[in-house]
Amino acid sequence: MEDKKDDSMEEKPKNGILRLLQIAGKRKYHLIVSGFLAILHAGLALVPYILVYYIIKELVEPPLDTVLIQQYLLWAIAAGVGSYALLYASGMASHVAAFHILYALRKETAAKLGKLSLGFISTYPSGALKKIVSDDIERIEYFIAHQVPDFVKGFTLPVVTILYLFYVDWRLAAVSFVPLLVLAIWMPLVFRSPDTKEMMQKYHQAQEDMNSGIVEFVRAMPVMKIFGQTADSFHRYSGTVNEYDGMAKLWMKNSSPPFAVFMSFISNATLPILLLGTWLYLQNDISLSTLLLFLILGVGYIKPVFALSNMGMQITLINRGVQRMDEILQQTEQTSSTTRPSFQHFDIRFKEVGFSYTHGVKVLDKVSFTIPEGSIAAFVGPSGTGKSTAAQLVARFWDIREGEILIGGVNINTIPVEELMKKVSYVFQDSFMFQETIYENIRMGMDKSGLEIIEAARAAQCHSFISQLPRGYQTRFGEFGVHLSGGEQQRIQLARAILKDAPILILDEATAFSDPENEYLIQQAFSRLIQNKTVIIIAHRLSTITDADQVILFGTNGVKAGKTHRELLAHSKLYAKMWHAHIRAKEFKIY
Amino acid sequence: MKKLVVIVSYKTVKKMIRNILYVFQYDKPGVIRAVFWEWVHGMFIAAPSGILLVVLWELFEEVPDIQMIWITIGSMALLFRGQIYVAKKAMLSSNLTTYEMGRKIRLALGNKLQKLSLGYYKKRDPGDLASIVLQDVANFENIFGHSVTNITNALFGTVILSAFLLFIDWRLATTLIVALSIAIPLIRFSRWLVEKYGKKHIRARNATSARFLEYVQGIRYIKSYGMTGERFRSLDKALVDLRKESIRVEAIPGPVVLSAGVVFEVFFILMIWLALYYFTNGTLGIPTFIAFLIIGYRLYEPMKILMVEYPILSYMNVSLRRVIEVLESKEQEVGKNLTPQSYDIRFENVDFSYTNEKKVLTDISFYAPANTMTALVGPSGSGKTTITALMARFWDIRKGKISIGGISLQDMSPATVYGLISEVFQDVYLFDDSIYNNIRIGNPHAGAEKIHQVAQKAQVLEFADTLPKGLNTKVGEGGSKLSGGQKQRISIARALLKDAPIILLDEATASLDPENEIYIQDAISELVKHKTVIVIAHKLATIRQADNILVLDKGRLIESGKHEALLQQNGLYTKLWTTQQKSVGWKFTSHLKTFNEDVS
Repeated sequence: MEDKKDDSMEEKPKNGILRLLQIAGKRKYHLIVSGFLAILHAGLALVPYILVYYIIKELVEPPLDTVLIQQYLLWAIAAGVGSYALLYASGMASHVAAFHILYALRKETAAKLGKLSLGFISTYPSGALKKIVSDDIERIEYFIAHQVPDFVKGFTLPVVTILYLFYVDWRLAAVSFVPLLVLAIWMPLVFRSPDTKEMMQKYHQAQEDMNSGIVEFVRAMPVMKIFGQTADSFHRYSGTVNEYDGMAKLWMKNSSPPFAVFMSFISNATLPILLLGTWLYLQNDISLSTLLLFLILGVGYIKPVFALSNMGMQITLINRGVQRMDEILQQTEQTSSTTRPSFQHFDIRFKEVGFSYTHGVKVLDKVSFTIPEGSIAAFVGPSGTGKSTAAQLVARFWDIREGEILIGGVNINTIPVEELMKKVSYVFQDSFMFQETIYENIRMGMDKSGLEIIEAARAAQCHSFISQLPRGYQTRFGEFGVHLSGGEQQRIQLARAILKDAPILILDEATAFSDPENEYLIQQAFSRLIQNKTVIIIAHRLSTITDADQVILFGTNGVKAGKTHRELLAHSKLYAKMWHAHIRAKEFKIY
Repeated sequence: MKKLVVIVSYKTVKKMIRNILYVFQYDKPGVIRAVFWEWVHGMFIAAPSGILLVVLWELFEEVPDIQMIWITIGSMALLFRGQIYVAKKAMLSSNLTTYEMGRKIRLALGNKLQKLSLGYYKKRDPGDLASIVLQDVANFENIFGHSVTNITNALFGTVILSAFLLFIDWRLATTLIVALSIAIPLIRFSRWLVEKYGKKHIRARNATSARFLEYVQGIRYIKSYGMTGERFRSLDKALVDLRKESIRVEAIPGPVVLSAGVVFEVFFILMIWLALYYFTNGTLGIPTFIAFLIIGYRLYEPMKILMVEYPILSYMNVSLRRVIEVLESKEQEVGKNLTPQSYDIRFENVDFSYTNEKKVLTDISFYAPANTMTALVGPSGSGKTTITALMARFWDIRKGKISIGGISLQDMSPATVYGLISEVFQDVYLFDDSIYNNIRIGNPHAGAEKIHQVAQKAQVLEFADTLPKGLNTKVGEGGSKLSGGQKQRISIARALLKDAPIILLDEATASLDPENEIYIQDAISELVKHKTVIVIAHKLATIRQADNILVLDKGRLIESGKHEALLQQNGLYTKLWTTQQKSVGWKFTSHLKTFNEDVS
């Protein structure tokens, strides 16, 4: 474990283009082949043009050798077809590389998520994680499959052309550079001026304002309609829309002139060649065919060069996605030893436990208590006092840095995570169903027989509603529009926990009331589940836990443990206050 | 198959053009201006090639007119200066008109969104609606100015160039144009392939997303049941499938697309071959030959532009379709625009279904006199929520009649109906603003004193007083800094401020926050005083005193009456009541008693 840490310290995480190249390096050979083919493609693509030059040469400098020309034409066709074939091969090589890399990255990210603490994962909305895996990683495809070969091609094509042109006539070749040079010096000056920078900022600000204006307008619309205030909110909305429009138009007014100049340069790029070429020809210094060659080839390389300069912006976008991915890939995993401890008993013990989320206030401070094996402990207290956090720590949703939590005398940080998970069942307040059969949804990959599964379903009061499904236990969740009610899903969850039969149970009492119409059934399932277990109940309604073996009171000034309901009621003002409010709430009647 | 391709693409192009014409209405003069300048610019782009030819032709003369040559080259320099001006005009006018259309579309959408029924908002994901106004319009703004001008220029260029080439030598020009007629079906075929394999690819991508979402959302379960491996396999399978489909969608249409390129190359060379033949038999002059060599290939450039731009344009078209769909949604009608004077509610033989398929409500009739409480009871899916939604005119009914104070809902504007009703449901929308301003939504004309008063009555002060800035504390985005129960109390304060005569209430909101339920309960008790109340009830004990209890099952009203009377009927209500009574007083108890033995 120590060694691992050192390794990661040495290898400093890269970012930007280096990180992208590191990712691309996973399929180095594919990409080298792709690049090599791209170079060949670029070379062959020039051949027809050069052959056209030789044909013209034949035409203007008699005698005309038709056989030779026909041979040229055959060569030109072959080169044309060949260059397209190479383009395809190069593209396929890079795409295959890209999709294999995407596959590997997606798999790695998913696997990594399996090794991170649940607490860390819960800091991300599941939509955000999905976005990273589907969209952000997908963007890398553009870099590997397109930009890498495009760069090779966009670089070779001009270089080969230029070398060839210099070989034919250095003066014309040099003058063909003029438009490129002028643009290369002048464009960055225009686009990087402080004015433009400031305007970009204002533009982005206006865009952000409009974005949040739109989201609020749409989300608030039902409320605004009900309270008859749509006119007001439309007024605010149209304000942000107009503001953005004004900025966008201003930006257009500023950026159009440089682009206009750029476009004009590109379409008139032959001017310097035409000027010098005509003069040289009239001086009898060059042949007409040489002039033609330059007019055909001399400006073709300008556009690809500018396409290269646009890559930067794309890469910034791709990088943002990579950063989000790396945030996950570079998280430290939960550590534990690999030796399986043998448990003599299943007492749970908190020793001076302190905990705070990433940064901020301490949620728990020096908390100590013991829950003997086979007893029920209820965690009670006002919201925000850490009772749910304390329960989650037992299942290692988060790792603690202060104090110790022991199960059967063993520090939970030294128990292999899978082993800990086998000993602890956590019944979540919100249930989750997989797109699988009900049978598999209960079995959850455990090594259990069909009989045991039905037994568990009976105990959790689900057998009767499962039997009424179109295919019983073999009905797939979501199939035939089969959507179970919240209470039914909750009972499936309890069936899973009953089947798992872990010695330690952590549950949220609110679960028992999640479906008022079926409360009774869920309660039956609970009663069955908690038999002979060490149980932690996160309790909100105190009347359900008056029989608990111990009530652990989480207050703003610390934690009081080891007392029963009656003792607390007699001695704790806070508890008495909570109890009386609860009793009054139970009697509530509308009217 | 080829025929099918032609039909499909003809239809899509037609639809695309219709959508584009639809948005033109938002800035017609601007569009005309932009098209004009773009075409002028198009000619400036083509001009240098023309000049080049003129110079070359002159050079090929026996005795070149030197002065004429230099004048022509000089005019190219002038044209260059002219192009800078025209290009600027063209870019500005097309970009400005694009943004102007974007702005007008957004305002039109905003206008429309105000007029759509609340039911529409229930049915649609608000995030999706927002992304239409935001992203789809932005797609239009980003693509339209650039793509449409490129395509018009390309088409314009093709026409001019073909005309010119046909004029100087029709035989060679026809050869080149034949290549187009071969390449176009190839391109269509490739688009068909892209669509076919694209569909499979999209299916694989959606499957991966679904698998991954399941993996992430279920990860707590996956980990706690130690099934990381097994779940992982189904995700891995989806990923492998996605990799396969991604490669196929590139690999299969690729050769077809590229073969279109090959066709161009081959026909160009063929054209040279023919030219050579005509040249040797004396029917073709050197200048024309040179012209075809230099600009003949440019005939294919527009095709290449179309091949790049068409998919981008199709992408924009998807966005336009989404925008237009909202702009053309049906608004609710406002019959006679009456306002009721009393607040009793009557349902007469109401049937309702969301789509045409399954009836959600069948033949519902009841009467709720003013200032009484009516409770809706029944298993989930029995139609309780739908009844309250219909009362607020979220949806319009096709059969039966709903009236308030004797006036049919259809004869009131939706705004009038909303003005009569306050709802307290489970989902509360809060603005990222202070608690105070969030309450004020209920009635913007209310003074500070009144707002404090309702905050007191709705138990908002109970928690606001413990916050550093009291009622002026910001609630965070969507109320993220508050608990569910606290948000609920703010929504009740709003309703108190609005003081509408009819209250629609979901009883479950009272137990949203079990540790603070007493406060919500007190707030609700304040709200329902002297109102016509319709309550969706889950815990029957809370509505025992209701003036009338309506028992629903599968969309039908099967029992009604007061609590005691219903119990005597021994029907569904009795069954529900006895089941709920069984759960009263339930406790967590273990069989081992290690701490104490007797608890009362």
